[in-house]
Amino acid sequence: MDILNHLLAGFATAGTPVNLLWAFVGCALGTAVGVLPGIGPATAVAMLLPITSQVDSTASMIFFAGIYYGAMYGGSTTSILLNTPGETATMVTAMEGNKMAKSGRAGAALASAAIGSFIAGTIATIIVTLFAPVLADYAVRLGPPEYFCLMLLALTTVSAVLGQSTVRGLSALFVGLAIGLIGMDQITGQARYTGGVPELLDGVEIVLVAVGLFAVAEALHAVLFEGAVKESENKLSRVTMSASDWRRSLPAWLRGTAIGAPFGCIPAGGTEIPTFVSYAVEKKLAKGENLAEFGNQGAIEGVAGPEAANNATVTTALIPLLTLGIPVSNTTAILLGAFQNYGIQPGPQLFTTSASLVWALIASLYIGNVMLLVLNLPLVGLWVKLLKVPKPQLYAGILIFATVGAYGMRQSAFDLVLLYAIGLMGLVMRRFDFPTAPVVVGMILGPLAEAQLRNALSIGEGKWTIFLERPMSLTLLCVVVSVLVLPRVLKKRKIAALI
Amino acid sequence: MSFFSIKKNQEIILSTGIIALALGLALGASGISSEAGYAGIGPNFLPLLVSAGLFLCGGFLLWEAWSGGFRNGPDPDPSEGTQEKPFWSGMAWMSVGLLLSAALITTIGFILSCALCFACAAHGLRQANAGPSQRAQPQSIRSWVVDTALGLAISAPVFWMFTKFLSISLPGLTKSGWL
Repeated sequence: MDILNHLLAGFATAGTPVNLLWAFVGCALGTAVGVLPGIGPATAVAMLLPITSQVDSTASMIFFAGIYYGAMYGGSTTSILLNTPGETATMVTAMEGNKMAKSGRAGAALASAAIGSFIAGTIATIIVTLFAPVLADYAVRLGPPEYFCLMLLALTTVSAVLGQSTVRGLSALFVGLAIGLIGMDQITGQARYTGGVPELLDGVEIVLVAVGLFAVAEALHAVLFEGAVKESENKLSRVTMSASDWRRSLPAWLRGTAIGAPFGCIPAGGTEIPTFVSYAVEKKLAKGENLAEFGNQGAIEGVAGPEAANNATVTTALIPLLTLGIPVSNTTAILLGAFQNYGIQPGPQLFTTSASLVWALIASLYIGNVMLLVLNLPLVGLWVKLLKVPKPQLYAGILIFATVGAYGMRQSAFDLVLLYAIGLMGLVMRRFDFPTAPVVVGMILGPLAEAQLRNALSIGEGKWTIFLERPMSLTLLCVVVSVLVLPRVLKKRKIAALI
Repeated sequence: MSFFSIKKNQEIILSTGIIALALGLALGASGISSEAGYAGIGPNFLPLLVSAGLFLCGGFLLWEAWSGGFRNGPDPDPSEGTQEKPFWSGMAWMSVGLLLSAALITTIGFILSCALCFACAAHGLRQANAGPSQRAQPQSIRSWVVDTALGLAISAPVFWMFTKFLSISLPGLTKSGWL
C-alpha cells in the first residue's frame, strides 16, 4: 500500500494546474517534434535544457517526460503518412502503416497506432510504478563494482551490439568518452584536456554535443544531400477503426506490450529490436487473408504490434534511468543530464531523497498518456498540417532553436562556433554511418563509470580481481561478454548452416 | 576518378584522422597526473584507455578502408541513390549563416542574428530543393525578403518567450534588453 500512497501523493503534485500545464505543453511539443522530420525528442529536450536553470525540477522533469513520450505518438503519424520514417523507433510502423495509408486506410492505421501507444504506455507505466521502487530497494545494496559492470553493459550494448558495425560503434563510443573526459576529474579534481581554458573545467555542455550532432548535422545533411529527394504524402482518411480492426489490433497491442516492456528494463537500449521482434511475431501469427495483407495493402497488426512495443520499451526505459541512473538511449541520456543540472544523481537513493519528484514524474506519465490520446486521435488533423511546412523553412527554423539552446546555456558566442564544429562532425559520422547514440551516452555515462571504477578498485585495494570476487559483478561481466560474443557465434552458425 | 576510389580515399583520411585523434589524446594524457591513491589507477587511466581504444578502432578502420571499404554499411538507400552530387554551395550558405550569427550575436542581438542565420540557411536549402537544373538561376529579392521576415517572425517570439517566461538571458539589440 506504500506504493499507492506515494502514487497518490504524486498525482497531487502532478495535478496542480501549473504542473498539468507543463505536462500538456510537453506532450504537445513532443507530438510536434515527433511529427516534424529532422527533429526528435533527444534534440528537443537538449535544446530546452537551459530552462533547468530557472524552472523548478519537478515541473521541468514532467515537461521533459512529456516531450519524451509525446514524440513516440507523433513519430507514428509521420511514418504512416510520409514515405520517410521520422525516427528509427517508427521505422517498422512505416512498413505496414505506409502500405495501409496508400490503400486508403491511413485513418485506421493512425487510430491503431495511437490507441496502441496509449494501452502500451499505460501498462508500461503500471510496470514502472510497481517495479521501480522494488528495484531501487534492491539496487541500494549494489556497490561500485556492480555499478561499474552495469554501466559497462550499457556502454557495450549501445555501441557494439546495436547498429551496423561494431568497430564504428566503438569508435563513436570512444569519441564520446573522450568528450566526457574534458573538465575536472570527479575524484581528484585534476583538470584534464582543458587546454587552460577556464570554461572547459566544467566540461563540455550536453546541449552542444546533442544539438550539434542531431539538429545541426541533420540540417547540413539535408542541404548537402537531400535536395532532390521528393517526398510523397498519403491522404488522411477518417480516423476510425472498424470492428474487425479492433479485433485484430487488440491482441497485437497486448503482444507488442509484452515484447516491448522487458526490453526497456534491461540496460540494452534501443527500440529497434523490440519493434522488429513484434513485427516478426505478428507476421508469423497472421493467417489467411490477414497474412496476405502484410506487405501488400498493409496489415493493421503490423502497425498495432510494433507501435505498442515501441511505447512500452520507451516507458520502461525509465526504470533503469530512475533506479540505477543508467541511460540506454539518446533521450534518456539527456534526461539524465537534466537531472544532473539540478544536482540530482538518479540512482537507488532517488526514491528516498527525491520521492516527491519521482512520484510526480510517474503520475504525470499516466496523465500524459491520456492527454496524448486526446491530442492524437481527435486532433490528428492538426498535426498533419505540420507536415506541410516546407523543408527549407523547417530546417532553417531548427537552426534558430539550436542557437537558443546552445547559447542560452552559457551565453558564450564561442559555444556557437563549437556547435557548428560538432555539427560538421555529426555530418561526417552520418555520411560514413557511424552511430551517434554512443557519443552522447558515452559522454554522459563515461565520467560516472570512471568514478565507479576507481571507487571499486579502492574497495579492492587496487586489485582488479574485486570484479570477479563479487557474485553479482561476476554475473554482470559474464552478461557483457555474452552480448559481445553470442551475436557473432549465432551469425557464424547461420552462415555455416547456409553453406 | 571513379566514385569508389573517392570513397576509399575519404575513408582512409577519416581513419587516419581517428588515429591522429587517439595519438593527440595520448599526448594529452601524458601530462595528467597518475597519482592513484588506494585505487591503483589515477586520473590518467581512462584517458590512456580511451586513446588506446580509439587507436585500435582507427587502425581497424584503416585496414577496412584499404581492403575494400568500411564493412556492414547501410543497405543502399534508394532515396540517396538518386542524389548525384553533394550540393556544396548550399552547405556554404548554411555555414555562412551559422558562423555569421555566432560572430554577430553579441553585437546585433539574438533576434537579428538568428533572422540572418535563418535567411542564409533557407536560401541554401531553397537552392538545394530546386534541383540541379534551376540552381544556377539567381533567386529573386522577394524570396530573401520573405525568408528574413520569416526568420524575424520566428526568432522574435522565441526571444520573448525565453527571456520573459524562462528568464534565460539572450543578448538583446539594445543594452536595455528590450529587443
